[in-house]
Amino acid sequence: MSIILVGLNHKTAPVEVRERLAFTDEACAETLQSLVDGELISEGLIVSTCNRVEVLAATRGVSGDEGTARISSFLSETRRVPHQFFGEHLYTHADEEAVRHVFRVASSLDSMVVGEPQVLGQVRRAYSNAVTAGTAGRVLHRLVHHALHVAKRVRAETGIAASAVSISFTAVELGRKIFGTLKGTTVLVIGAGEMAELAAQHLAGAGASRILVTNRTTETAEQLARKIKGTALDFSSLPAHLAEADIVICSTAADEYVVTPEMAREALAARQRRPAFFIDISVPRNVDPAVGELDNLFVFDVDDLEAVVASNIREREREAERAELIVESEVMQFQQALRSLDLGPTVAALRQKLEEIARAELKRQRTRLGELTPEQERAVEALLMSTVNKISHPIISRLRRSHDTGEEEDLKAWRNTFGLEE
Amino acid sequence: MNYLLLAALAAYVNAAVHAILAFAYKRRSVERVAMVSLGVGFALHTAAFLRDWIQDGRYPLFGLRETLSFLAWTLVVAYGLAHFRYQIKALGTFLIPLVAFLVTAAMLVRTTADARAGTVAEGAAGWVFPIHTTLLIFSYAAFFVVFAASAMYLWQERELKLKTFSALFHRLPSLTTVDDIGSTAAGIGFTLLSLGIVTGAILSSQQTGRIWHNDPKEVFALITWLLYLTMIHYRIQWRGRKSALVGVAGFGLVLFTFLGTRLMGGYHVFG
Repeated sequence: MSIILVGLNHKTAPVEVRERLAFTDEACAETLQSLVDGELISEGLIVSTCNRVEVLAATRGVSGDEGTARISSFLSETRRVPHQFFGEHLYTHADEEAVRHVFRVASSLDSMVVGEPQVLGQVRRAYSNAVTAGTAGRVLHRLVHHALHVAKRVRAETGIAASAVSISFTAVELGRKIFGTLKGTTVLVIGAGEMAELAAQHLAGAGASRILVTNRTTETAEQLARKIKGTALDFSSLPAHLAEADIVICSTAADEYVVTPEMAREALAARQRRPAFFIDISVPRNVDPAVGELDNLFVFDVDDLEAVVASNIREREREAERAELIVESEVMQFQQALRSLDLGPTVAALRQKLEEIARAELKRQRTRLGELTPEQERAVEALLMSTVNKISHPIISRLRRSHDTGEEEDLKAWRNTFGLEE
Repeated sequence: MNYLLLAALAAYVNAAVHAILAFAYKRRSVERVAMVSLGVGFALHTAAFLRDWIQDGRYPLFGLRETLSFLAWTLVVAYGLAHFRYQIKALGTFLIPLVAFLVTAAMLVRTTADARAGTVAEGAAGWVFPIHTTLLIFSYAAFFVVFAASAMYLWQERELKLKTFSALFHRLPSLTTVDDIGSTAAGIGFTLLSLGIVTGAILSSQQTGRIWHNDPKEVFALITWLLYLTMIHYRIQWRGRKSALVGVAGFGLVLFTFLGTRLMGGYHVFG
């Protein structure tokens, strides 16, 4: 038994190739059954996302090469793409390598943006497609469940997905860092940039309860307010409303400071010095940098946010190294579990054990037989071996049945009876 | 050899190691080990305390050794309360090692105070003395929580202002949370300190007829009390950074009251 994975991803293949090979959910269900022939390939699963197309299979045979060739012709046939079109972009992993790859994909270590959460759902869907098609068996069940467990561990134990890697999520994250929860906070949007809109939406999604919008042009303010379910304010009332805002998003085309230190100081006093967070995504800047020097006020401009994003990406990469260690240890655990799934060694050990007993007995009694011709010698040997085979045959059939139906207890009982290692 | 306390110390050390590991590696299983160890340590510590009380026939809070041990015990109580209320783990990473350190110190300090313990606790005021000391030790623990919360506040506030974030930043609770913890703990600490000073005055008036001895410990306790009174009074104007600075400075005074005045002598030196 062997596990093989054949596929291509955003690192090995350009989008023109990936899109030609992509599978829809329906296509997965339809084609999987043609892949899994029960002879060479016993189980199969297809992961198809915008960044990767991968076929994961469990094979009966020992050699991975045959299976690899089979899968690559499967891709070419079902997608109606000549092999030379994608052959050079393919990678192949077998056994431990394949297991490692699946774990890394599920944990989002192989993703374009390391730590992105979608891939886990995509793996889950690929699995449910295979289950629907009836092509996921014992090996893939175990492998996928283990992969989901690894992904969960990586998520919980490393900061791989902890920090935001976009400007608007960084704003949300910093807001959380200051206010704890964004529930009940008031957001004030000054101006109407696309980025301001996006940030306001993210903040509202994270729980901000009140959104105020203001603009030099009242109409624009009202438009944006309708769009993001906020309240439009008259621009002249900005100083008065500044105190209400916990988070201020500034994005106007003005070439002077819209929020001055005097305004901020007054607002701070009016809000009893509760902290406030200014996000200034306008260039030239709209919030006087001197505002950031006041206690309890935190001002981030575009460059600051970009720098945070860059450092978060570096942080994710550092955390990814720790995630790799988790994957490594889990691969080892899985390989161990897999060995108990593989009946081959047990069968071989059983045969060997019985043959050893027969040979030992023969050796003990050999002298009593006296002189034998080579023919007779062979006959005695054949007699012994066929007896051994006749006895072991029903036991092995029984073992196979128990193994196929997953009766671990039964298997264990047989192993114990003959004193075999697992 | 106090085996119960030694066992408690072992559990605390284990808890401290795991709390630090959990903080660094974010492993929930490790964190559970830390919490369970802390619980076991606390139970053993409580048992050691009760056993001393029964064995010696007096409230076992006298002299440096017992005070350090009791201070560690109150810190665990304070941590338990903070954890229960705010669900923050980061505090434990700083607090549990300190608990382990205090218990270690308690085990190393020579016991010389026992002989004189009876004389102080004698008379009608006998019952006031343990209340006086217990209240103050609990107030120290509360002020330590203020200190820890303030330090976390200042650290994060600085990083937010400088816009460069260390790994520590992502693991600390939010500014609002630490500010809240700090002010709640300051309120509790201040109340306990006030009561502690009042009971002290009662105790001393019953024993010597004077409520004030101008002893360094009393003077520093009063300064601490005034500082926190000011902090609480100007709570709104000082919200955030200034409060946090007072929280750190105030704890310096508390430490000095607790340890420093021991070196300057006076009415309060027993052990």
